[in-house]
This record gives sequence, C-alpha cells and structure tokens, in this order.
Amino acid sequence: MSASQSAVRSRAEAVKVSRTFDWLICFTLFFVVLGGYHIHYMLTGGDWDFWTDWKDRRLWVTVAPIVSITFPAAVQAMLWWRYRLPFGAVLCILGLLLGEWVNRYLNFWGWTYFPVNFVFPSNLMPGAILLDVILMLSGSMTATAVLGGLAYGLVFYPGNWAIVGPLHVPVEYNGMMMTLADLQGYHYVRTGTPEYIRMVEKGTLRTFGKDVAPVSAFFSGFVSILIYFLWHFFGRWFNSTEFVKSA
Amino acid sequence: MKLIKDKVAKLSFVALLAAVSASMLYTPTASAHGEKSQAAFMRMRTIHWFDLNWSKEEVAVNDTMTISGKFFVFSGWPETVDKPEISFLNIGIPGPVFIRAGSWVGGQLVPRSISLELGETYDFKVLLKARRPGDWHVHTMLNVKGGGPIIGPGKWVTVTGSMKDFVNPITTLTGETIDLENYNLSNTYFWHAFWYALGLAWLGYWMRKPMFIPRSIAVEAGKADSLISGADKKVAMGFAVGTLAIVAMSFSNTESQFPVTTPLQAGLLRGIKSIEMPATSVAVKVEDATYRVPGRAMQMTLTITNNGDSPVRLGEFNTAGVRFMDSNVAVDETGYPDDLLAEEGLTVSDNSPLAPGQTRTVQVTASDAAWEVYRLADLIYDPDSRFAGLLFFYDAAGKRQLITIDAPLIPSFI
Repeated sequence: MSASQSAVRSRAEAVKVSRTFDWLICFTLFFVVLGGYHIHYMLTGGDWDFWTDWKDRRLWVTVAPIVSITFPAAVQAMLWWRYRLPFGAVLCILGLLLGEWVNRYLNFWGWTYFPVNFVFPSNLMPGAILLDVILMLSGSMTATAVLGGLAYGLVFYPGNWAIVGPLHVPVEYNGMMMTLADLQGYHYVRTGTPEYIRMVEKGTLRTFGKDVAPVSAFFSGFVSILIYFLWHFFGRWFNSTEFVKSA
Repeated sequence: MKLIKDKVAKLSFVALLAAVSASMLYTPTASAHGEKSQAAFMRMRTIHWFDLNWSKEEVAVNDTMTISGKFFVFSGWPETVDKPEISFLNIGIPGPVFIRAGSWVGGQLVPRSISLELGETYDFKVLLKARRPGDWHVHTMLNVKGGGPIIGPGKWVTVTGSMKDFVNPITTLTGETIDLENYNLSNTYFWHAFWYALGLAWLGYWMRKPMFIPRSIAVEAGKADSLISGADKKVAMGFAVGTLAIVAMSFSNTESQFPVTTPLQAGLLRGIKSIEMPATSVAVKVEDATYRVPGRAMQMTLTITNNGDSPVRLGEFNTAGVRFMDSNVAVDETGYPDDLLAEEGLTVSDNSPLAPGQTRTVQVTASDAAWEVYRLADLIYDPDSRFAGLLFFYDAAGKRQLITIDAPLIPSFI
C-alpha cells in the first residue's frame, strides 16, 4: 500500500475506524480535561468547594460559577466550531465532578476521615446543560456568553440548594446559634484551616436584607459572561491548527 | 546490545521492586505536627501555655476528654509575626480523630475567631470527643492571622474502640435530632448521582452518533448547519426545560421541607475576658543570657528583688512549653508530657529563700536534651535572637508568682 492509498477498504471499515477514533478522542479528552480542570478549580475555587461551612449565600455563589465557567467555555469553543458538537460544558463538568468525587471520597474521607457530608463538591451540572443547550440552539458564542453565562451564574445556587439547604438548619450550641454546616466546620477539626481564613458572609450587600443570594447570583452571572468570552478565546487559540503545515 | 537490554531490564525490575517495597512495606503513620520545626522564637515569644491538663490519656470512641489551662499572650510579641488581633483557638490533631465538641476562652464558647490582647493571660478549655482509634499527639494550638499556627505542648492520647460506633447527635432548633456524622448523606449522593446521570444522558445522546471525523469533514465542507437536526433541537429544548424544572422543583421542595434556614455564622468575637492575674511582688532583671551549644544549656544571670512580705524561691522556668524545674522547690503533679518536662533541669546558684526586701544576683541554668530535641537551640539562627519565658517563684506556703522575662541570647560554641 502506498502513502496515497486509503488505509481502509470499505465504507463499513471506514465507519468502524471513525468510531474507534471517536472513542479514543473522547476517552483522552475526558481525562485531560478532568486533570486540568480539577487542578484549576481546586486552585481557584478551593475551600469554597471543599467544605460545607464555606458554602455561603454570598461568596460561594459568586466565586464558584465565575471560576468554573472557564474550561466549559474553552472546550465548547473547540467542539462546536470544529465539529458542531454541543457537549463541551457537560463533558467538562462530568470530568470535574468525577475527579472531585474521587478526591473527596478517597482523600478527604478515606485518608483523613472527614465525613463526606462535609466535603462533597458543588453541583455544576444544571448550568453546564443550559450552557450547552443555549450554544446549540443559538449557534452563537456571543449569545452563549450572554445568556448562557448569566444562566450559569443564576442557576448555581438553586441548583445546589437541595443538597446544601438541609445543612443550613439552625442549631443552638452551648449558647450560640449556628447552622449545621458551621457546626461541621467546628466539630471536624482542620488543623491547617483556622476559622478566620473562611471567606463567608463578607461584603457590603447589606441593603438587601436576607435576600442576598439572588444579588450575588446575578453578579456572578454577569462576571461569568466576561469570563466566558475570555476563555472562549483561549479555547479557540488552543484549538488553532495554523502551526500545522498542510501536506 | 542484548546484554545491555537485559541489564536495563534487570535493573528496572530491581528499581521497581525497591520502589514498591519502600512505599508498601514502610508506611509509618504521620501522627505529629512538625511542632519541632516551627521557628523557636515563635514558640518562645508569642503564646506561653501553662497549667495545662489533659484530662485523660486513654479514651474510648464516643467518650470525651478535655484539655484545659492558661496561656499568656506575650507582651514582647515579635515584630515579624502579626499580633493576635484575629486568632483562633484550635487543636493540633491529625485530622478529625476527635471532634471538637466545645472550646472556651475566658469562659466564652469560641467556635469562631477571637481577638486577644498582648500582655493578657487567658484560661481556656477544649472538649474533645473521641472518633477514630489510634495513638494521637494532641496539642494545644492557637492560629494567628498573619502569624500562622502557634503550636503548644502535645501529649499522646490513645483512642480505643471502633470508628463505626461513633455518633454525633445534634438537636436542631426545629426540634429534629440528627446524627451529624451522616446527616444529609443519602440526599447528597442522590442529587449528585441524578445530575451526573443527566449529564451522561446528554453526552450519550451525542456520542451515539459519529463524532469527530465525519462532522469535521462536514464542517470543512460548509455543511455545518446540517449537523444539527430538528430532533436534536427538540431534545435540547427538553433537556433545558427539564433542567430548569428540576432545579425549581428541588429548590421549592427543599424550601418547604426546611422552611427555617439561616446563613452561615461568621464574624470576630471580641471582648474575650482575660484572667485578673495577682499583682507580683518579685522583680527580675536579666543581666545576660547565653546558650552553650555543646552543653545544651541556657545560662542566665538574673537579679531578683523580693518586694513582697514572704520569702520566695525560683521553682520553674517555662519556655516554648518546656518546663525546667528545680525539684527542691516545685514538682509537677499534672502528668505533663515527659519529653517536655525537665524535672531537675533548673539549677540556681543560690536558691535559698529570698527574704522580703532582699535583692540577689544568681546564675540560673536551664539544661536538658529538650533544647536540642525540640530544636529550641535553633533560636540562635533566628533573625532576632532573643528568648523569652515564664519564671515561677514560690513562697513557703506554695503561693506562686509568674514573672515574664525577655532578653537577648548570646550563643556560646566552646
């Protein structure tokens, strides 16, 4: 067989090779994204995602979507413009959550015995599905950034409330009121994480009474729009093949 | 060539075997906290822990023990460490082998950070409930924002029993009693599994069709629009509407199931009450202080004046949690950790009772292997080579006076 001849001899064989290639790429992409995204999210979202007593209605709501919309934007840019595949965001979140659960279960619980109900990751899937669907229906990165980015920020808190809400039930403990999540942070000793490094309930949103979560979510959605644009361009740049000379 | 290949293969096998052995056969438990590595000046010139008591040395899972005592926030706090205006009374243990069932400073519960004043003495208590069996080094500890963890003395405590039996019952303000050890766990697993499955379903929908090569060819050929069908759009709409509906429903259900929720509690606790220490009648001036490296001994020349009305003797020098004692004057009866206790480590050139109104200059030597073991001798390598500590004087009735000292330290290498 010469170099100019096809490596396959029939359409069926071509389809088979193409599908094999699909699985190889998907498998590799999944784990590459998992590794990179997980490190990125641990470094930027870190404690907000690690501990329930950091999952507040101001900073967690604000920070988590902003720092997590990054890889979904970049991978969407690649999969959409090259292949019209609208699952970049979901693929990223599936990878991230798998990595996080492995980390939380084996490290946080398996090695250091922090209860899983104290160290579970944030749920980012609702925002990812909306991001992918908006991209697919609009076919526009701008619309995805504006509508999807905003939706990604807005849906984060309600999307997590079913998991986090029960931990915000108040308890009276030795004459002080705290939530069950606060109590988890107090009970399960973190020698290297003193209480004062907890960045929760800080800020100046004091004129909204108890309803600060929606305001934080809107702000998060707004910044997520900007971050989406930025990381979308990262994705396009990484996806460039201009450096490959045509044969 | 074959010979080289065989050798490489053999050496690789040996290296692999060694690596596996090193990682599997020798796996010591990391159970202490690097307390000896903390800069000596941090331990000598920041928080002085004293009158410490670990209520038990062995405790069963679910049983409690306390660590109590006092700490003096040293007046000569080093410039290189932020002042303890934002601090947290922690406990130095390897993860949650105990749960911290309570902690108090000056009688106030301190689940959050507190503000401390230089020159004040505070009493504290930490209530621990045993959770995980093993031998654990349990330290007192104060985290200081901008200063890091300031670790105090530690004592080995054995936890017996099985972690499976551990329970952490809490009654909420809504009247429900839950076990915080596994509360909300199945709910967490359910929702994460549910959303993960939904994500997989979305991915699966697209992965069931050919992906990269044919779609890339179509996009290159300008037929990108043909790759998304009307059915695809309907499915996507279904996912989006379903997602929003599930989020709204789960939010609403949680709100109705838990109508009373509060935000996380945060904020600095101020106004922590310090102990009113009795006025001292002994004055001490440090004339000089040297650390003799070969002898592992610190020598001080002290001028002591007794302004009180009863004779006193020097019984103890306490620095960085190491207690150098003159056993003729004072004996520890609290079960203080052996490695931090030099029962006969304090020698005073003339330790006869110092009569009221009398002034005497004495040579005081604090010697013990603890200087090296606890790396306090490394003080001579610190940028500000000063030491500090507490001196305890006793009168015939056993009444104790606490005096702090703070002075430069000159090393002696011969």
